[in-house]
Amino acid sequence: MRRLAGFNTVVALLPISALAQATVEGRVELPKSHLAPVMAKRYEIVTRGGVLSTQPPLAVVYLAGSFPKASSPSTKQIAQKDLTFIPSLLPVQLGTKIEFPNLDDTYHSIFSYSPAKRFDLGRYRPEERPIPSEVFDKPGLVTLRCDIHEHMRGLILVLNTPYFVVTDANGRFRLGGLPAGQYALKAWIDSKTTLEKPVHLKSGEVSQVDFP
Amino acid sequence: MSSTVQPGKEGVASFRTKLFTAMMIIVATLTALGLYFAQRKIMADAGRDLQQNFQAELSSLHDVEELRQAALAEHCRLLAAKPRIHAALEDNALDLLYPSAKDELRDLMEGEEPSQTGPSLHAKFYRFLDGAGAVLSPPNPRDVGPLGPEAEMQLILKKLPETQQIGYIRENADDADEIVDEVVAVPIFSTETGDVISALVVGFEPFELIGKGAGAGRKSGIWLSGYLYLPALSKPAQAALGSEIAKAITNSTSEQNNFTVTLNGAPELLFYKRLNPSSLFPPAYEICVYPLADSMAQLHRLRWQIGGASVLLLLGGLVASRFVAARLAVPVEKLALDSEENREQRKRVETALASTSEKLKRSTRYSADASHQLKSPVTLLRAGLEGLLAREDFKREIYEELSALLHQTHRLNGVIDDLLLLSRMDAGHLQIESEPVNLSQIIEEWLDDLGALPDSPDVKIEKELPVDLYIAGEKRYTSLIVQNLLENARRYNRPDGLIRVTAHRERTEIVLAIGNTGRSIPCDEHEHIFERFHHRSTASDVSSHGLGLNLARNLARLHSGDLRLVRSEKDWTEFEARFPIAAQAPDGAGQTT
Repeated sequence: MRRLAGFNTVVALLPISALAQATVEGRVELPKSHLAPVMAKRYEIVTRGGVLSTQPPLAVVYLAGSFPKASSPSTKQIAQKDLTFIPSLLPVQLGTKIEFPNLDDTYHSIFSYSPAKRFDLGRYRPEERPIPSEVFDKPGLVTLRCDIHEHMRGLILVLNTPYFVVTDANGRFRLGGLPAGQYALKAWIDSKTTLEKPVHLKSGEVSQVDFP
Repeated sequence: MSSTVQPGKEGVASFRTKLFTAMMIIVATLTALGLYFAQRKIMADAGRDLQQNFQAELSSLHDVEELRQAALAEHCRLLAAKPRIHAALEDNALDLLYPSAKDELRDLMEGEEPSQTGPSLHAKFYRFLDGAGAVLSPPNPRDVGPLGPEAEMQLILKKLPETQQIGYIRENADDADEIVDEVVAVPIFSTETGDVISALVVGFEPFELIGKGAGAGRKSGIWLSGYLYLPALSKPAQAALGSEIAKAITNSTSEQNNFTVTLNGAPELLFYKRLNPSSLFPPAYEICVYPLADSMAQLHRLRWQIGGASVLLLLGGLVASRFVAARLAVPVEKLALDSEENREQRKRVETALASTSEKLKRSTRYSADASHQLKSPVTLLRAGLEGLLAREDFKREIYEELSALLHQTHRLNGVIDDLLLLSRMDAGHLQIESEPVNLSQIIEEWLDDLGALPDSPDVKIEKELPVDLYIAGEKRYTSLIVQNLLENARRYNRPDGLIRVTAHRERTEIVLAIGNTGRSIPCDEHEHIFERFHHRSTASDVSSHGLGLNLARNLARLHSGDLRLVRSEKDWTEFEARFPIAAQAPDGAGQTT
């Protein structure tokens, strides 16, 4: 454990020595959205043919490999506001604690039956303290639902890597601070589609990877 | 006589029999037709009524089912929309399905107890089917309604249904407490994909048909995969009836039908109708058995009524046939009899007539011939005698003798004339040429002559005659009658006797009465005096040839009148002759009325 902890410290310092780090940038070809671009950038989780994705489409690009766990689990938030999850798609590193604050003035009852994480927060009011939270310690896609508002969907992509980024609406991404080496760069597009490309990362270099 | 009539009677009898037979056939045919149609109508009526009842019950059942299914569909729609169920199904968390559904379906399971009045949604159990149609095993069967493995097996579908499916399953199939459950499989559509991702199968107690007006004997049950569930019957009876129904169902393409069965020796009408047409579950049929006892009783009653009516009709027919036959037969019978009798009689009469006419012809000819043959010698004899009398050379005694002989020839001549007349009458050759005849005048003339007769005894004559009494007759024959009667009155009179002649009108007749004193005619002779050649025993001394009265009566009858003896006793004998009054007196003749 000590060794691991020490290793983790090293990894944690990596972003600081950014010059020695590799960077990947590129573009993910996102599915065509048949909706007009939304100025407010509000994303929803939609199901089409049993496939969950965001609407307008977004992708999560991450570097797959075996990386040490985060030394201190970070805490993130997915709020419920206006009867939606914000953000609707949240990639997190394994072991991340996610808080689900209720920003609506109604009850919500967040639960998930997903194999990656089963939990049920039950009904709670906006003033509920501490903010109901869950720690996600199994990689996979977790579908968030609200037992009261059946249309609410949220996606949590629990990844076994600290290197991930959500593309912009055009599919562009830039993922920096990566360790050099031979990896697989993956692009999660929807619940059924994850693209993969091998990358050879070199320190101080910016690799260009486009999907597909 | 009777033997000749027999064929006629037999003919009538056979006619009567034929008529009656025809009537019998008609009545029997009518009866048979009546019975046939009555039976058909009653059976059809019963069938129709029961069919209607069955359909009504089925439709009420159907209504209940529809209600239940609609409620279930709504339930499942809501259920499928439930995030937890959805999550369980879509997020591959089937183990969480039952716990998630437990809350959602709580009201289904813990709904109101089945009430007597109406349908309820109270479910006995529910199960989910996975994507392949297999039953998802519940973690805690108590929460979802316990079900035996055999029963649970019956819930499996080959594929998930797109629509609601109705099925029936047997629980405790081999036990005494066998029951049949109605199950409804409701598809659960994914709210995300729109695909059928699962199915909820809910089990209910099947609704009993609530029969109204069908009688207490109605029994209803369910036939399922060759087995009959009809709790009102014993197990063996159910099995027997079940195989019978199975036969009927496999032989028929129709999903509903009816046929007559015999239960406990009584006929009953069995209806069946498929409860779950085109269901993925095995076919199940609603079975209703109605006793036909009422209809049978009605039929029995009607049979008696028709039978009675027929008997009455037959009796009426019998009477009517006899009456009609009699009415028809009387003339026929008469005709037959008449023709028979007539033939016989005619034959007899014809032969008799032939012989009689032959005899008559012979006899009249004989009489006529004889009379004529006699007349000539008598005339010769008289002429001879008159010639002898004209001579004057005989002794006085000889003249007396000759005179007596001449008188006898006159008498003989009279007899011959009478005989001739009679023979003409017998032959029917004598006809009266009717004309007004003055009877008074004839009587006067003959009374005058009477006194002139040589051997007339001394008699007194009384007469009481209106003048100019006209009768319808022929003068010479009327005269003969009067002559005969007056001669007799004189002939059989006694010395110092009396002859009384009276005549008077009596309605359309003129009655002439001629009475005389003298010895009376004995009673036993009264009826013989009008016979030919009858001689009065008491007056043998009187010269009479015995034809006079016979001739007189025959002539009187020819005049459409009559002659009879009125009385003959105590020195008084009186005859009475009747003549028809002349319709019209001759011109110039005074009529005395």
